[in-house]
Formats: sequence, structure tokens, C-alpha cells
Amino acid sequence: MMINSILLVDDENLFHLVFEDACSLLDIALHLQAIDSADKADHLFREWSKDPTARPDCVFVDLNIVGSSFDGIELIRKINNEHGNGCVTGIISSSADKAEIAKAQSAGAQFWIVKSDEIEPRLEAFKSDYLGYKSKKGSFKVYA
Amino acid sequence: MIKLDPAARRALLDLSHKSRLYLEGNILKVIDPDGDEEFSQYLKDAIELDKSNRRKRLEVTKQIQSQNKDLTAAQEENSKLMGDLQRALTEAEAATRSAEQARNTAEGDLDLLQKRTQFQLVGTIVKVALWVIMGVGVTTTLLYSLALVKGLDTTLLGSTWSNMFSILLTNSFSIIGTIMGVKYATEKGE
Repeated sequence: MMINSILLVDDENLFHLVFEDACSLLDIALHLQAIDSADKADHLFREWSKDPTARPDCVFVDLNIVGSSFDGIELIRKINNEHGNGCVTGIISSSADKAEIAKAQSAGAQFWIVKSDEIEPRLEAFKSDYLGYKSKKGSFKVYA
Repeated sequence: MIKLDPAARRALLDLSHKSRLYLEGNILKVIDPDGDEEFSQYLKDAIELDKSNRRKRLEVTKQIQSQNKDLTAAQEENSKLMGDLQRALTEAEAATRSAEQARNTAEGDLDLLQKRTQFQLVGTIVKVALWVIMGVGVTTTLLYSLALVKGLDTTLLGSTWSNMFSILLTNSFSIIGTIMGVKYATEKGE
């Protein structure tokens, strides 16, 4: 199943290209929007709470978003608690710190993907689990 | 899925034949060929071309990303080395200052020691000179007194005693003057 639209929040612009190409090659999403700040994402979600037509189905958030006033876990908490919890949310980070993973899970993240040079197999595994996340039946999973 | 009318499909096919120009991106994934075999092949070719281009770009982007990581790591290492160098430089400067201070102290001590030795030498010379002056003075005075008591001829001895005494007096003043001069010069030098 292909995801209709994905939002990527990551301060590394080069990773936007990697993620976009990997998603396209793996037929993961039809539309991908990439932004580099948690504040911008928060602003977009406020807009989408008024008009949800452009709201993404799934949000991938980096853990440490340089230049933002809060980190990825806080953004996920905001999406889930303040903006309606209407999409699949998870972290995509080069870190695999267990304490941070636990914090993300308690904030409502549904998955954690560890960034690496070989991101495609992890995204492919995520794609096969996506329906579970969408129906909120899939348990939290770390793709490392 | 969207369906294109035959004219639009024909136009896209002609463009691909003439200019090797294809549609690209995710739009290809939502176009239905609507049973058109030729257009279905066009879509397959376009998707394959798009994937091939994306694969190339992905490889290049990954390489750049990897190089960026290496550069960042190297930059961090450089910053660490610069920090270490700066610390070493500060420590070296402190050591130089300390060594200069020690050298100044040693030079001061050496100078003091030299002056003390000089003063001791001058003191010894003065003492010896005074003893010699006093000895000569006392000896000539005794000889002159003895000659006076014994009633011997004192013409030669008297003039000699007088001359001797004036010379000794002059010399002793000269020595004292020299000593005072040396002492004054030394004090001024400090």
C-alpha cells in the first residue's frame, strides 16, 4: 500500500533528497513534503487543524532539529496531543539511544527508524508495517 | 488513478519518440493506461527512466552525505586539536614567563653575590691597608721616639717620620676616597 502523503521534518536538507528518492524508488508515498524546522511543522499543523485537506498521513521527525525551539519528541507530543492525533508519527534519527526511544514512545511515536547509509531496507520494512500503524493496532517498533 | 484522453496520450508518445522526453515523478504512478498497450509501455519506460535517475541521484546524495559526515568529523577533530594547541601555547607562555622570572631572580642573586664578594674583597684590602698604614706609622713613631729618648741625632729620622706620616695620611685618605667612590658608583648602578 502506498501512503498518500508524508511530511518529513529534518534540519539536514541533504537527507530530504535521500528520503525523497528512497520513498519514490520504494513506492512508499505519492507526495512528500520536507521541512527543516519543528516550529514550521507546528505552524503547518495549526493551519491543517482549520483545513485538514492537505494534512499528511504520516510524519517522520528527526530527533534533534537544529534551529528549532523544541526537539522531535516534543513535536510528536504536540501533534498527538494538541493537533488531533490524526496521522502516523515516528522518529527518524541517527541516534538509537534507548532512553530517547522510550521518551518518544511515551510521547506517542509509533516507530523509530535509525538513519544510516542503507535506509532503504528499513523504509521497506516500515512500509510493510504501515497499515498496522494507520489502524493504531501495530505496536511500537525500532527499525535499526 | 487518472485517465488521459487519446489525444493527450498521442502527444506524450510523439514527444517521447521525437525528443526522448518523458513524464517523470510520482504522477506516473497515478496514470491509468486505459488499455492502451503503447501508452502502457510508455508509462513503464517513463517509470524505469525516472527510477534510474533517482537511483543515480540517491547514490550521489549518499556520497555527499557521507563526505559531509567525514568533513564534520574532521572539523571537530581540527577544533579539538586547535584547542589542545591553544592550551599548550598558553602553558608554554606561562612556562616562559616563569623561566624568565627564575632567570631574573638568579641574575639578581648572582649580582648580589658578586657585589658581596667585591665588598668583602674591598673590606679585606682596606683592613690590610689600614694595618700596613698603622704598622708603618707605629714603627716609625717608635723609632723616632726611641731616638728622641736616647738623644740620638733625629735630623734625618724626624724629616723621614714627617714625610712618611704625611704620605701615609695622604694614602689613607686616598684609600678611603676610593672606597667611598666605589660604594657610591655601585649604589648608583643599582
